[in-house]
Amino acid sequence: MIYALISHICYFTFNMGIILRTSELKKYYLVFVREKANAGNLTNFEVFDFLRSRGATSDPMGCIGSVSPSECKVFGYLSGSPAYMQTRESVNEFLRKADNFKFITSFEKLNIVNSTPTVMPALYATIKDCDKRIAKEEEQIAKENQLEEDQLQELLELVKEIFPQPAEEQEELSQ
Amino acid sequence: MFYLSQVEQNLKMPPHLLKPSLLDGELEKGIRGELEKRFLDKVITNLGLCISVYDIQSFEGGFIFPGDDGCATYKVRCRLVMFQPFVGEVIVGKIESCDEFGLQVSLGFFSDIRIPERFMVQPCHRGEDGIWVWQFKVDNEEFQYSLDIDEEIRFRVASVKYPPTPVEQSENSEPFSPMEITGYINGDGLGLVSWW
Repeated sequence: MIYALISHICYFTFNMGIILRTSELKKYYLVFVREKANAGNLTNFEVFDFLRSRGATSDPMGCIGSVSPSECKVFGYLSGSPAYMQTRESVNEFLRKADNFKFITSFEKLNIVNSTPTVMPALYATIKDCDKRIAKEEEQIAKENQLEEDQLQELLELVKEIFPQPAEEQEELSQ
Repeated sequence: MFYLSQVEQNLKMPPHLLKPSLLDGELEKGIRGELEKRFLDKVITNLGLCISVYDIQSFEGGFIFPGDDGCATYKVRCRLVMFQPFVGEVIVGKIESCDEFGLQVSLGFFSDIRIPERFMVQPCHRGEDGIWVWQFKVDNEEFQYSLDIDEEIRFRVASVKYPPTPVEQSENSEPFSPMEITGYINGDGLGLVSWW
């Protein structure tokens, strides 16, 4: 019925000499209209918290009725990630303090919150082209986003302070 | 890894789903169920895998159009939680299998993550039992680190591809994956979590 309507419109407008813009035609073919493809990035913690508030638990049998099995799987994955121990306050605090470090972009902050690196190589992995961006002493060019090694160390200390590892893991490591 | 996507959808609510919701005054619950049926666990090209319906912002309408089997059509505006890692994101997953082309990593809810050989730590080779091994040389000493199955691996996303749906598929071919993520592990801090 909609197809008949479209052909009718085309015929009518053709006779009237109006050319229908393709975007208008497409509206009828699309199943849904995407208002905003990206309405905001979510940290792993926010998705974890959202699923938890919907009633998901680590036990797959307990999830029946409140969330679907696929949501339960996502919850299971996030329970094993650093998001399990984060709180809204700690994430907000980290994002606020990380603003002092001018060299990292918001995507890199997201990377750090999701993976909470505890050693320097892990922090290197989260920052894009880290080794290229470290200020070299020979080059005296002043750039806004240059970073220094001790700034990286500060950032690592900040991560360790705000997102502490659980006590059992630390015991295992010392053994 | 996750982001919100706002969509507007003309949703057809069949009468058998409407009746209990309207009587209880829980139309939103019925609409949510219908939205989940339509979007949950489905891959939308260039948007990602839909994990969950975040919230329903508004719905209006409820008209019954002729010839529609009595379905009431609502125009629903909602937000969906989509899974689509951005290029350059660092993710921890589990090695599911390995073949001559590379590794396959799984996240539990998503398994189509491949790390081809050219993106793996160099130099590495495939052992007799099929497991990839990294040969690490430092000061004339050589260490062998193997990438075993079921080990946690940290990788960086190189690309997210949406191959077009095949029109014909032969019987023996691999099942079609609508969303493929390629990762690489040749970098500082990447590779098995236990290495660093």
